[in-house]
Amino acid sequence: MAQAALTPIDTRSAWRRSFVAVAALAGIAVVLNLLNPARIPALQNFLLVFSSLLIEAMPFILLGAVVSAVIEVFVPRSVFDRLASLPRAVQLPAAGLTGFAFPVCECGSVPVARRLAHKGLSAGAAVTFMLAAPILNPVVLVSTIIAYRGRDILVPIVVGRATLGLLAALAVGWIVANKTSGELLSATAEDDEHAHHADSRAGSFFSHLTGDFIFMGRFLVLGAAVAATMQTFVPQTWIASIADTPFLSLIAMMALAFVLSLCSESDAFVAASFVQFGVGAQLAFLVFGPLVDTKLAFLYSGTFSREFLRTVVLVVGAVVFAGTLWVEVIVG
Amino acid sequence: MRRGGAPSAIAVLFVLIAWAGLYVFLLATDRTSLYLSARTAWLVPVGAIILIVSVVGYLVTRPDSPALSNRSVSGLALVALPVVVVIALPPASLTSFAASRRSSFASAAFVTSVEDISTGSLSLADVAGAVRSDEAMAALTARAGAEVEFVGFVSRDPGVPADEFLLTRFLISCCVADALSVQVRIVDAPAGEFKQDQWVQVTGNLFPLNNEVVVQAEDVVKVPRPKHPYLNA
Repeated sequence: MAQAALTPIDTRSAWRRSFVAVAALAGIAVVLNLLNPARIPALQNFLLVFSSLLIEAMPFILLGAVVSAVIEVFVPRSVFDRLASLPRAVQLPAAGLTGFAFPVCECGSVPVARRLAHKGLSAGAAVTFMLAAPILNPVVLVSTIIAYRGRDILVPIVVGRATLGLLAALAVGWIVANKTSGELLSATAEDDEHAHHADSRAGSFFSHLTGDFIFMGRFLVLGAAVAATMQTFVPQTWIASIADTPFLSLIAMMALAFVLSLCSESDAFVAASFVQFGVGAQLAFLVFGPLVDTKLAFLYSGTFSREFLRTVVLVVGAVVFAGTLWVEVIVG
Repeated sequence: MRRGGAPSAIAVLFVLIAWAGLYVFLLATDRTSLYLSARTAWLVPVGAIILIVSVVGYLVTRPDSPALSNRSVSGLALVALPVVVVIALPPASLTSFAASRRSSFASAAFVTSVEDISTGSLSLADVAGAVRSDEAMAALTARAGAEVEFVGFVSRDPGVPADEFLLTRFLISCCVADALSVQVRIVDAPAGEFKQDQWVQVTGNLFPLNNEVVVQAEDVVKVPRPKHPYLNA
């Protein structure tokens, strides 16, 4: 069944299916226009959150795709082979700290990590970079400082966020370090990689750029749809009742971060609003969300092997839970 | 592999042009502020530029495109779907429905200084900041009775007196998904004159009471939704 979906179709079928797809999109436009979503508050809320998430995230996917295409076309494979030969204890921290120099949010780091792994960088280093960059990049750290300025938990939040984010990234990187790129990446992602060819470097650049955009875009759209649905139908008030419960509050804030799917450059403003929660719970929200959320779950599922998402959720969850518990004990 | 004019290449171009068109549409119709904050508005022109360059580059270099499969047609349609949604959706912003889904304590993230609250005219952003800390609330309390002019939309809970409503405005830091609400209770408003989600301008005197801010209305008038419906954090 899955193989049939991937089998190339003949030109006539391709045209026919393309016309059907365009007609379906036009139909949706007509229905939306006739329906007037303003009369259905939940639908309007869903559409606004869905559109807004994508309008913001797609340029980050594009920026990531540009970097990814530059790596593919202009950086020789030998560079990554040399990097891959470094000891793991050097490679992984170096990959994590590279995040300081990559000021895009989590959506942009996924296509770059995929390219790095495909190009020969070790799976552990590519994943460590991907997970560390959305937290360690300077834009995120500065926005966290702005959101918490004037609060006595500013230092533990900022230092804790950077430290725990790096630790969680290193932990996942260490666990997947023995995998080859073939084992790390999904079959779909590998097939997509092999599908882009061109006679010139410029052609190859644009082929990979557009390929990454389309490939990542569909998973992002699915993730945004689920995130917008949850934002529309799951009220945040359920979480207020457990603000004072030591262990549950940490798990609840991680769950909330997963549901909301906020950009790592803005989530500190939302986290800072949860004043009823302790420093550990706010930190759990700030570290877990940029590494695992609804839209990322779809991006990871499309890009990496089936067990990768499970590994990230379990390892990041465990590191964040243990780390924030300590922060709660020491600072809270 | 197929060259340039194959259905796959045309389908990819269609999606790229659609997304480029969406960002150009947002710029041309001035609708960016319905989705993004001022600090992330730069993403719209950047997205438009990268996509336009990609379209031109794709047309000029005509790289090989993988042949279409059933799944790739669905994938391309899925990527194009948000473009259709945004263009078909009449201009709109979050309403009282969104305010009801967000917890009340999540209304307190806005950053503003005690100095901002203590001097000059008071804004809804100052109120949001005041709810956040005891010092800021004390500064706001010191200005009890100050005349204010706020713009927001009407949010009415069942059971409240007919001459009361919550004036609501959302604050966003990146996009609508991270919206936080700020609300002040309006009292002595013309009874039953304003419907849920109607945008209004309220002039009156502000009185902080515990963790709530009340405005005794002198004048309430209907206004159109502002060009920038969200305050920016």
